[in-house]
Amino acid sequence: MAESETSNIREPLPAPAKERRFSAQAIAELEEIASHYPERKAACLPALWIAQREYEGYLPPPAIQEVADRLGLSYAEVEGVATFYTMYNLRKRGRHHLEVCTCLTCAVKGAYEVVHRLEKELGIHVGQTTADGEFTLSEAECLDFCGAATVMQVGDKYFTQLTPENVKQVIDQLRNSADYTPTKLADSLVKLLIPGSSETGGGSFAPKDLVNPAGPML
Amino acid sequence: MSDNRLTQTEASLNRVTGQLVNIKINGIELQVPKGESVIESAKRAGVDIPFFCYHPRLSKGDAANCRMCLVDVSMPRKNPDGSVILAKMPKPQASCTLPADEGMVIETESAQVVRDRKGVLEFLLINHPLDCPICDRGGECPLQNNTLFYGPPTSRYIEEKRHFPKAYPLSENVVFDRERCIHCARCTRFTEDISGDSQLGFLKRGADMEVGTFAHTSYSSKFSGNVIELCPVGALLSRSYRFKARPWDLHTQRSVCSKCSNGCNIKIDYRLDTLLRINARVNDAVNEEWTCDKGKFGHEYVSSPERLKTPLLKVDGEWQEIDWSEAYRVLVEKLKAANGSVGGIGGQRCTNEDNYLFQKLFRDVLKSNNLDHRTSGNFGATNSTLYKRFGYHAMGNTIADLENMKAVFVIGSELVDEQPILFLRIRKAWRYNGASVVNAVTSVQESSTRVGDFAEVELVYKPGSELALINGMLNVLFTENLLPETGVDTKKLQAHVASWTPEKSAAETGLAADAIAKAARLLAKTPMTIIAGREIAAHPHYEAIVNALGNLVVVTGNMGNLNIPGLEANTQGAMDMGILPDSAPGYAPVEKAGMNTAQMLEAAAIGELQVLWLVGAELLEQYPDTALAQKALANAPFVVVSELTLTETAKHADLVLPSASFAEKDGTFTNCERRVQRIFKAFEISQDIKPDWLIFSEVLARLGVGVPYFSSRDILRAISTQVPAYASITPKSLGEAGLRWEYAGDQPAPTIVVE
Amino acid sequence: MPILNLLYENRDVQNIENLDVYEAHGGYQGLRRAVTLERQAVIDEIKTSGLRGRGGAGFPTWIKWNGLPKNFDKPHYIICNADEGEPGTYKDRELLLKLPHLLVEGMIVAGYACCGTAGYIYIRGEYVEPAWQIRKAIDQAYKQGYLGKNILGIEGFNFDLYVHMGAGSYECGEESALMSSLMGERGNPRLKFPHAPLPVIEGVWKSPTLVNNVETYCAATWIAKNSGAEYAKYGTERSKGSKIISVSGHVAKPANYEIELGTPLMELLKIAGGITGGKLKAVIPGGSSVQIRTAEQCEKINMDYESCSANGTLLGSGGFMAFNDKTDIVVLMRRTAEFYMHESCGKCTPCREGTRWIYKVLDRITSGAGRQGDIELLLDICSQIDGRSYCALGDAAAWPIVGAIKAFREEFEYWITHKRSPIGEDAVPPVPVVVNPLLTLTPA
Ligand SMILES: Cc1cc2nc3c(=O)[nH]c(=O)nc-3n(C[C@H](O)[C@H](O)[C@H](O)COP(=O)(O)O)c2cc1C
Ligand code: SF4
Ligand code: FES
Repeated sequence: MAESETSNIREPLPAPAKERRFSAQAIAELEEIASHYPERKAACLPALWIAQREYEGYLPPPAIQEVADRLGLSYAEVEGVATFYTMYNLRKRGRHHLEVCTCLTCAVKGAYEVVHRLEKELGIHVGQTTADGEFTLSEAECLDFCGAATVMQVGDKYFTQLTPENVKQVIDQLRNSADYTPTKLADSLVKLLIPGSSETGGGSFAPKDLVNPAGPML
Repeated sequence: MSDNRLTQTEASLNRVTGQLVNIKINGIELQVPKGESVIESAKRAGVDIPFFCYHPRLSKGDAANCRMCLVDVSMPRKNPDGSVILAKMPKPQASCTLPADEGMVIETESAQVVRDRKGVLEFLLINHPLDCPICDRGGECPLQNNTLFYGPPTSRYIEEKRHFPKAYPLSENVVFDRERCIHCARCTRFTEDISGDSQLGFLKRGADMEVGTFAHTSYSSKFSGNVIELCPVGALLSRSYRFKARPWDLHTQRSVCSKCSNGCNIKIDYRLDTLLRINARVNDAVNEEWTCDKGKFGHEYVSSPERLKTPLLKVDGEWQEIDWSEAYRVLVEKLKAANGSVGGIGGQRCTNEDNYLFQKLFRDVLKSNNLDHRTSGNFGATNSTLYKRFGYHAMGNTIADLENMKAVFVIGSELVDEQPILFLRIRKAWRYNGASVVNAVTSVQESSTRVGDFAEVELVYKPGSELALINGMLNVLFTENLLPETGVDTKKLQAHVASWTPEKSAAETGLAADAIAKAARLLAKTPMTIIAGREIAAHPHYEAIVNALGNLVVVTGNMGNLNIPGLEANTQGAMDMGILPDSAPGYAPVEKAGMNTAQMLEAAAIGELQVLWLVGAELLEQYPDTALAQKALANAPFVVVSELTLTETAKHADLVLPSASFAEKDGTFTNCERRVQRIFKAFEISQDIKPDWLIFSEVLARLGVGVPYFSSRDILRAISTQVPAYASITPKSLGEAGLRWEYAGDQPAPTIVVE
Repeated sequence: MPILNLLYENRDVQNIENLDVYEAHGGYQGLRRAVTLERQAVIDEIKTSGLRGRGGAGFPTWIKWNGLPKNFDKPHYIICNADEGEPGTYKDRELLLKLPHLLVEGMIVAGYACCGTAGYIYIRGEYVEPAWQIRKAIDQAYKQGYLGKNILGIEGFNFDLYVHMGAGSYECGEESALMSSLMGERGNPRLKFPHAPLPVIEGVWKSPTLVNNVETYCAATWIAKNSGAEYAKYGTERSKGSKIISVSGHVAKPANYEIELGTPLMELLKIAGGITGGKLKAVIPGGSSVQIRTAEQCEKINMDYESCSANGTLLGSGGFMAFNDKTDIVVLMRRTAEFYMHESCGKCTPCREGTRWIYKVLDRITSGAGRQGDIELLLDICSQIDGRSYCALGDAAAWPIVGAIKAFREEFEYWITHKRSPIGEDAVPPVPVVVNPLLTLTPA
């Protein structure tokens, strides 16, 4: 029996085209971060954040290759890291990625109803992106703000005490907002690692333009 | 250049001490080295512990993941009052990573352990497809075997198994059946620990986890075939062997790879007269248990339909199939008529026995020293530079020595292609023993497996500037006072290199001065070794470079650590057997040197060599001056070629003799470190294909000389009586692992050579 | 007094996250006091305090601190585990957000006591806002000379503190996996003692490494300031001091409460405003990894390590979840199992395959396809994981299921025989269909 009769053998692909998208600033950031660790490899997670920012919010193969090259790692090593962690986007997300926690407390406090309402409002299922590219909806494992169930993460921001009734308000607010995008999230996660960045206005830790529907709760 | 040396756990895990400790396994008391893995200690006691992920040559840091080897362990614990009790560890322990310690008591067959193993196997089987009937691994599969002996008889899993498309191609040679993978991480650890390309890794996590499936890149390692043997299930498979046979249909024969001079120990698996696959055989002194892809997969030629099955004679420009008696008749007639105007080239891929008779035929009967095994490189005198200064012809170090080096200098070599096993040893020296590696090359290969990947300094120099580079390094060693006291007078050398500042050297070589200086500093260690490759061996200034490198080893106190290994399976043996114009077997000088390859070709080109006999020598491919080779083949009155197939070179012959491949004959090869190793006949493709020694023997008989040799054993016996270095070499003494021969007599004293 | 605001003393002070306000309220006094003592004396204070790790395992903190070599031969790394991921726990989030300097100070104290040279705060990637507070606190502390070279003017007392962000993985809270992740690898756990040296001897980058939870360092700050003996006045015989409990679920006032260890569970429930939407049915006292207890069993439990384990559960990380009688325990366990399946790193067989199998069986049961024998099957699978996995995530996946079956077996049986919830349809919201799982990478 010839091999090809039973399998979908295809010829191995060539290595992804070497693209270089890290800006001079990104390279400086990477070098600064790498200097925090005794080994360059440790900068792998941060480098992926930088890549996620530079490559418009997700990690296409050239992004992974660029990180590998800049850190002296193999493609497989970096891809292994990128696919292990849930916050790295391997495919493009909507401009707002709605991640609703449906873990224990949120689940008993009605997270599924929130998800269903979101599905209805947006006309998509969990795992899909709206046709206008505005929203991607997914379920999240525990976001660890259980006291404020139901919790949803959008970019670098948590929305709390969501109910089927108040989610529409959140969506409407997000629709007009340029914040809380995957790129902004990645940018925050990079800046956070840079000493002194809290003074140069990197942080969006006191968001002004959005309010929690039910008010903050701690 | 990333520094991905072993992680901290790994470094500590490999620290088995010499101290002995007392342990007890299933009631058997024994002493083992402290720190040895319990699974290894159990082997000593004859106790079987099943495993999947454990492998003695792979790192342990990422192991212990299959959980098959769990055992119950108790440790002595001191009470506050000083009394000692035996305390059972609350959880079963993975014996593959558990270091043996004083007083440890291990149970491998307790009811709990037996149950745990069943549990692990049940887990592994819930997603493993039971497609054993069409799986290559079926019949030699650790998962099948462990399930048979330790597994549950049934499964309680009724949900759907994990499904993936079958047989995803990873590379030219390897396919991956993701469904079958049991996530033991052997393959991924191999690429990280051994081959060093880190091309396989796990993707995703949890039950979704899979070995890199190369949606975007392909597995291009030069050692990819090893993962097929490492995989304990049929997840990684050979594309060429896939669906070809059941393991129990196969016969296996011990052999030695004939693809390069490293001499990997292999097993040939064949059915009838077809070679189906090659697997590695363990030899700790040589290949440990690895093979390179050239050796593992490059064997189609053996059972190829292209193989010549009868002698061919060219009559009026047309090939005619003739029988052997006719072939011999023609050949003997021509040889006799030539009256000593004969030349023989080849033998690098022949056995020692073939070569011995080859030269015997030429020297004793045809009375000609026109013999040379070299088809490329330099054709200088045999007992020159290297031999005069260091007392050997190719390698001063053994392969195993290499892993203990503190520094390694590789120059002019694409090591992974030329000497794959030396490459692995050097990488091992770097990874496990912290050796510093300096790699000097003229062009950098676009390959994923390179010395440059782990070299601390890589020097990409302008072609031809080797001497400038070496002089620059010597200059640094002198000016920075990095040299040990060796008792050798180095003043002349110091003066000679005084003007070779790193800056000057940098200007000549096109390198950065500090890179040269850094390389020099790294090499100022003992033991340090140098490996010079093909570039150097074929260099127009070969002598000068070898002398300069010689100075480098002498001044750093590393006498004897300069290696210029041969390139083909039996380059070393061909030299030992005297396929050289100026030395007989055992490097005995001949009275009047014959012609070397270049001279023979020149003579043939002008019709001055009556008979040219090529034995496994693809001149048109290998000889640098193709035009000359072509002319020689055209103008020599009679060209005989002993070959497996009708190669380009053979097409120019007058007579072609079908000779046997390494799988069809017995004999010995001598590898680059002078280890003589046996190969065995596995099968016969045709009675009309003859081993070269038999051809020579039958020609000898027809020339009416003495009693013909009937077996390669007879010839080996003759060799051991005739060649002093081979005196102790007998089929018996060669055993499983072969035997390395040593030069007799004193080593030359260290000297400095300045031109 | 069950509420015991030691760490929370100044939680509600306006702008306490700013260094000046923090200092005005006694901030960095702990560090100032610590550096007047010998290094060993600081460790002894921790010993006297009886402080136990607040990350979940409750391991005596001083033993770890004492285990690092007392020299500067190699760098020593002080790591804070702020990868809070345990469902039900959100105490670290609040500490980071509101009292960042309490943590920073605690880590500098540890750095001083353990000859630390650099510190990393490993914060889960989702905690962007809390991380910004830490960033700000670190930047301020550098300015004020609490970090960097020659801290507080003490020659040779150098300590750098870095933020490291995770990227979405619960397993990275496990201390050895955290170390892998910090070193830029997949979040796989590493070999543990006796298979490998302890992290305090060889942790990250071949160097001695101390890993503690956020709350543990914060408590160390308090101890450094007020003395170990003072801390040891609170709590029980073996569970000293206070513990922050994150209360969530069907309670009127879900929040973090700092209580004295040993406070009766029911009293905590009362503080949190009592049960809403029905009667108390069950409590998970220490985060999703610990065993669920029935209302009746809860009566006997005090919130301390010993009492919890005597009652078949654990204090864990203090993720207290209370459920009313409208809660379907089997459905709850299905979701718990889903969590562990999703978070298993996949390295070892029992956890990778077992967590998925548990989920599949529970999913089958809660979709009405349960079979007789499934309960025994679940218990068997759990026993094949518990203690057999590479790290404690496997144990943590098995315990809640076994605990729930022990406490609420009849509900499992009901599901299996009647193919529906014992509570009623409402208790089982339809689970969304996941069309395109985002974690899955499909080959191009
Ligand atoms: C699966 C798993 C997840 C864990 N997650 C966390 C966590 O999120 N935060 C934490 O502080 N400890 C966590 N731990 C406990 C840590 O392994 C470790 O015990 C702790 O960081 C030590 O700090 P401590 O002694 O201060 O408690 C987890 C353990 C396991 C097995
Ligand atoms: S492919 Fe084979 S060797 Fe690699 S992890 Fe899977 S089972 Fe192990
Ligand atoms: S062989 Fe020990 S865990 Fe796999």
